[in-house]
Amino acid sequence: MQKIILHIDMNSYFASVEQQANPFLRGKPIGITGKRSERSIIATASIEAKKLGVKTAMSTWQAKKICPSLILIAGDPEKYSEITHRFNKLFFEFTPFVQEFSVDESFLDITEQAKDWFGAVYLAQQLRERLREECGEWITASIGIAPNKLLAKLSSDLVKPNGITLTRSEDAIARLDSVKLTDLCGIGPRMGKRLNDLGIMNFKRLREFPLEELVDEFGSYGTWLHEAAHGREAFEVNVEEEDPKSVGHSYTLPKDTFDPVLMQRYLLGMCEKVAWRMRRDGFVANAVSIYVRYGDFSGNGKQHVFKESTADGLRLFEIAWRLVDSVRDKSKPVRLLGISASHLTHTSESKPTMSIFSAGGGSAFGGKKEQKHLSVLSALDKIQSRYGSKSWTRASLLPIAFQDRASGLGYDHEL
Amino acid sequence: MHNILHDSVDVLATFADRRVRPLHMRWNDRNYTIKNVNLVHTAREGQKKIFYFSVSDIANYFKLRLDSETLEWHLVEVYSS
Repeated sequence: MQKIILHIDMNSYFASVEQQANPFLRGKPIGITGKRSERSIIATASIEAKKLGVKTAMSTWQAKKICPSLILIAGDPEKYSEITHRFNKLFFEFTPFVQEFSVDESFLDITEQAKDWFGAVYLAQQLRERLREECGEWITASIGIAPNKLLAKLSSDLVKPNGITLTRSEDAIARLDSVKLTDLCGIGPRMGKRLNDLGIMNFKRLREFPLEELVDEFGSYGTWLHEAAHGREAFEVNVEEEDPKSVGHSYTLPKDTFDPVLMQRYLLGMCEKVAWRMRRDGFVANAVSIYVRYGDFSGNGKQHVFKESTADGLRLFEIAWRLVDSVRDKSKPVRLLGISASHLTHTSESKPTMSIFSAGGGSAFGGKKEQKHLSVLSALDKIQSRYGSKSWTRASLLPIAFQDRASGLGYDHEL
Repeated sequence: MHNILHDSVDVLATFADRRVRPLHMRWNDRNYTIKNVNLVHTAREGQKKIFYFSVSDIANYFKLRLDSETLEWHLVEVYSS
């Protein structure tokens, strides 16, 4: 049976939410930034700012240079998170098959509900109206309708803001031939360049290119390219929530610094947040990665994989600091630190001989001491669940303060 | 002008149809009549639910915080055009 898929892409999402909340920002170029606008990037530019040349991920000073009238607003993840939950809940009014693709994009399989393309356009219009009622008139979405996710996403990109674009199966080839290779999700600039180097400049040429040669060049991705060039894609709307692959946190320091104690404090604070999230969600990690970014925006990172799982912030910190200390270029001031715990397993699946509060290799907690540490941590978790993330802190972290308003790129308030 | 603050304020509100709607606010010895409620969202502090009301009058945007446990109102953001 012919599938009917919607791709819903919220327009300039974080900026639109701010313009919905504050009507005095409407019609103006605004940029949503991290916690400190002057040391941040543009997480989202409003439609007005985009017209003036401001782009996502641009540094704020660069954006201000291009657009001096740009109004910088520190992101408010709590607000965006709630609106994301709100519109995704709304989508379930239309179909049970909803896949949250990102904070501002979702796929809906409406094959049964829509019946045909006419029904799909009607449902998309209804959905747009419900979105206006639930979230406000300034929060709009572009909707793509197509026989698969690939073409639906391509279609939603074509009319912004607030467009509805239909690509029927019989229009797929014409649609692909009207766009650039890199307009398709899955073909990035680097891949576009490699295709160009093979003489493939557009989808027509990609279709004509022998499949065997594509597979020789790109492996299984070559098959995907061949199918995509014909407007075909096998992936269905995935309604099952996938477990996270990693839990991480990064933080731009208030000032670039050479001070290892200050770095340790922020790193420990981040490790505690990461560990709390893992314990709350029932995960333990077997790998820690760190990233160091310097004042000149260069950076380096390192990963350590270990046998004994852990969800203890102090243990994560011990590993993370060893990594930071081993890779850090001590001649450069540090601007940002990041830590990520990966190789995650569910607490219930971790091997019984392994304590979730130790990671081997000289753990600070053995026997009675470990038991005591475990019970303290368990009590602290209960306090945090009841009273929130600011209900306790380590004494060593008192001299520093993580800014309340973290980057709009991540939902740090859920830590 | 955009200010982040945490000022205790008096708010006159209606509680009807399971919805709270702030109507008037008294801040710094001045009364403000709320013209529009533009967005309402919630957040959790532990198990406590906090309501945020993004509201505006003719010249200002206000973000009001209502603590559902203590029923205290705070003004947490002001933006004047």
